[in-house]
Amino acid sequence: MSRYVLGLSGLYHDSGAALLCDGKIVAAANEERFSRLKHDSSLPVHAARWCLSYAGVKIEDVELVAWYEKPLRKFERILVNQILEFPRSFTAFRRSTFSWLTDKLWVRNRLIKELGVPASRLVFGEHHRSHAASAFYASPWTDAAVLTVDGVGEWATTTLYQGGGEGLAARSELRFPHSIGLMYSAFTAYLGFAVNDGEYKVMGMAPYGRPRFVDEIRRVFRLGDDGAFEVDLDYFSWHWSATDSFTEKLVALLGPPRFPGEDFDPKRPEDQRFADIAASVQQVTEDALVGLATRLHRDTGQRRLCLAGGVALNSVANRQILLRSPFEELFVQPAAGDAGGALGAALWAWNEVLGGPRVDVGLVPGLGQASPDEQTGEMLSDLKAHFERLDDDTLVERAAEDVADGKVLGWVQGRFEWGPRSLGHRSILADPRRADMRDRINARVKYRELFRPFAPSIRADVAHRYVDLPAGGEQPAQWMLLVAPVKDPEILPATTHVDGTARVQTVYEAQNPRYHRLLDAVEARTGHPALLNTSFNLKGEPMVSSPVQAYATFKRSGLDVLYLGNFRVERGGVDG
Amino acid sequence: MNIALADRPLWLLSWLVWRLIPGRGAVKLAEFSFTELGSGLDMLAAVEETPRREMRARYFQHALDELRHSELFRNRARAVGGSGGRAEAVLDDLGYIDSHGIRGKTSLFQQLGEREFLAFVWVAESRAAQQFGVYIDLLGTDPSTKEMFNNIARDERFHIAYSRAELDRMIAEGEGRAASWAVLRVRVRRLGEAWLRFSRVLGDVMSGLWLGIIYFIGVGPFAWLARRTERPKLGLLPVAAALPPRELAWEMG
Ligand SMILES: [Fe+2]
Ligand SMILES: [Fe+2]
Ligand SMILES: [Fe+2]
Repeated sequence: MSRYVLGLSGLYHDSGAALLCDGKIVAAANEERFSRLKHDSSLPVHAARWCLSYAGVKIEDVELVAWYEKPLRKFERILVNQILEFPRSFTAFRRSTFSWLTDKLWVRNRLIKELGVPASRLVFGEHHRSHAASAFYASPWTDAAVLTVDGVGEWATTTLYQGGGEGLAARSELRFPHSIGLMYSAFTAYLGFAVNDGEYKVMGMAPYGRPRFVDEIRRVFRLGDDGAFEVDLDYFSWHWSATDSFTEKLVALLGPPRFPGEDFDPKRPEDQRFADIAASVQQVTEDALVGLATRLHRDTGQRRLCLAGGVALNSVANRQILLRSPFEELFVQPAAGDAGGALGAALWAWNEVLGGPRVDVGLVPGLGQASPDEQTGEMLSDLKAHFERLDDDTLVERAAEDVADGKVLGWVQGRFEWGPRSLGHRSILADPRRADMRDRINARVKYRELFRPFAPSIRADVAHRYVDLPAGGEQPAQWMLLVAPVKDPEILPATTHVDGTARVQTVYEAQNPRYHRLLDAVEARTGHPALLNTSFNLKGEPMVSSPVQAYATFKRSGLDVLYLGNFRVERGGVDG
Repeated sequence: MNIALADRPLWLLSWLVWRLIPGRGAVKLAEFSFTELGSGLDMLAAVEETPRREMRARYFQHALDELRHSELFRNRARAVGGSGGRAEAVLDDLGYIDSHGIRGKTSLFQQLGEREFLAFVWVAESRAAQQFGVYIDLLGTDPSTKEMFNNIARDERFHIAYSRAELDRMIAEGEGRAASWAVLRVRVRRLGEAWLRFSRVLGDVMSGLWLGIIYFIGVGPFAWLARRTERPKLGLLPVAAALPPRELAWEMG
């Protein structure tokens, strides 16, 4: 009989659910794809129910349900800090204590009541161990060093592990309030972006600047030589404030913060200062991570490093870890943030609580929901869409033709992606040779900050012709989690950032057959098996999951054509 | 100005709030943006869930309208409130949607079923049209916002019309009693929800007071003691148990 384990995360950042069958991933999804609320952090009820129904099992058939952290330990940390920060922690106390007393402390009861989990089968992992498990047990390696870095879990903000046959042995950790993730988020806020959402934007802004504030930032975020770091708490307020993460002292040091929503023009001196600060924060973050990795290498003597936690989504820093630390190979779990903690909790429960055998978990880009073509066709005709059904060959040929014609495509194929990146299942695609594509997509679909680059998908076997991927970076590159210098910026200008790099996704046939075939067909027309690939969503919304959502987003945007499974949908139909 | 008698208190209250509290107008627009987003998502779910396929196009059109309204309100809130204001904070806080659309465990459509869902649409849209009428009058001083409200009001007329037509069809088909019951149940439910919202606000205020007392009386002395003890340690610290014992997996702390 098959053995099932369900992992769940939430009530803090992005929530998610992941189901294992005999240790292999059956289904995994972020809650936001069902609730349609970006970064939804509520109890992942929809995602969990969907995982179960996808596998055709009931909650009673599940051997263990694993929550990704220890709620009581987290509450303890929050209370202790508020006591230490009396009386300026008053507002934070009132807010967080209320939400804890009324909601978060009851997670056990809620899981029993809302999902019907039998109490005896409910286990609670540790936040960082869940991150670590999500990377180590999903990696192809039986021995590796594991580094987890995020904002904060229970107490830990950074943990160093050695993974082996006996499991994940924790070696050392750094604790709240000293945190790389919280420091990066504080600067995200300082630079006028939303915390827990705009961190990518800081990374995108950094190449416009010079790191001339490194000394100042190192003064407030001190790096030791053993990999440890220390935050000067006079400059930050995440340990006591409910709303702010930095203080007036930081403003005195670096100048006034950037207003949210303001345009960014690096030619303006004030914006140049912001770009310089972004570059400096990015560099200090990289230095800190390289320091930790070097220390971990010394402690473990491993050649390979697994990385998880929100900070592992920093694809620029990932490159620096590969280049500057002694590790030779890198693995990053695609859902490195807290939603991915659901997968980690499940993998921890399977491997370390149940003692199940270590297996290849079958990590592929698409682990979410799919829609059968019959349903899609029925829906499209009910909605009076202009569409035609194509066979597999014609579909790929027509799509490639549209790309070569300069059209912007919506591309919805198979199961939706696990993690924050779109990897060719729920994508907006275009020809990366056209420099104007970036502005066109921004103007008509994404409406996002012009300084943010778009990423290319390139067929894995020829990726080295276009970008300089560091050795040992094959794993993160398939999840679009590694930035690499572009060899000739003239060839794919729409996906090359100002500093001549690209956040490339390498595409393999085994994992992504239809997308791989599309790249072949595109190559036949443009000479390059490469596509501009950005997530299929409008600004501020989660990626589309169902055909109806995809069609609605298509109608609301300036996309030229939509590929929904085997259907090609054009504009027209009800109201154009 | 032709405002129904019943809406005069609302009008007066809104007028006072919008005129006298700076930034309140923008916050109201931001909140409306969530109301519309909520009903847009409710409608989109209905497209997928209705067993009556002929209703799909209607619901879909309705969903697109509401999502567009949400966008319009969002942009107006930003334009009126300026960057970095209260309205911006509201727009960033998805928690606001809780009091509007897509409720919790299942979609609104699944909770209500087709008949009651249509009754809900009709009741909610009619009420919203009245309220927007009030706001159009209030915002006479700002032509762009006024135009936006007028624009939206045109769509709302379509929403009222088709949901009413569906209810009338039920009546014509001899389901008049069931349709009236559905409308009544929706009205009662909305009253209940309004009461719930009110008591939640009241509860928030009360719990805030209590927590304030606990904080200053209960936490204060601890804080004084804590000052004399050590702060959390710095640097890379050893972990108590490299591999936590298996039995601890069932513990929450
Ligand atoms: Fe985390
Ligand atoms: Fe509306
Ligand atoms: Fe409406």
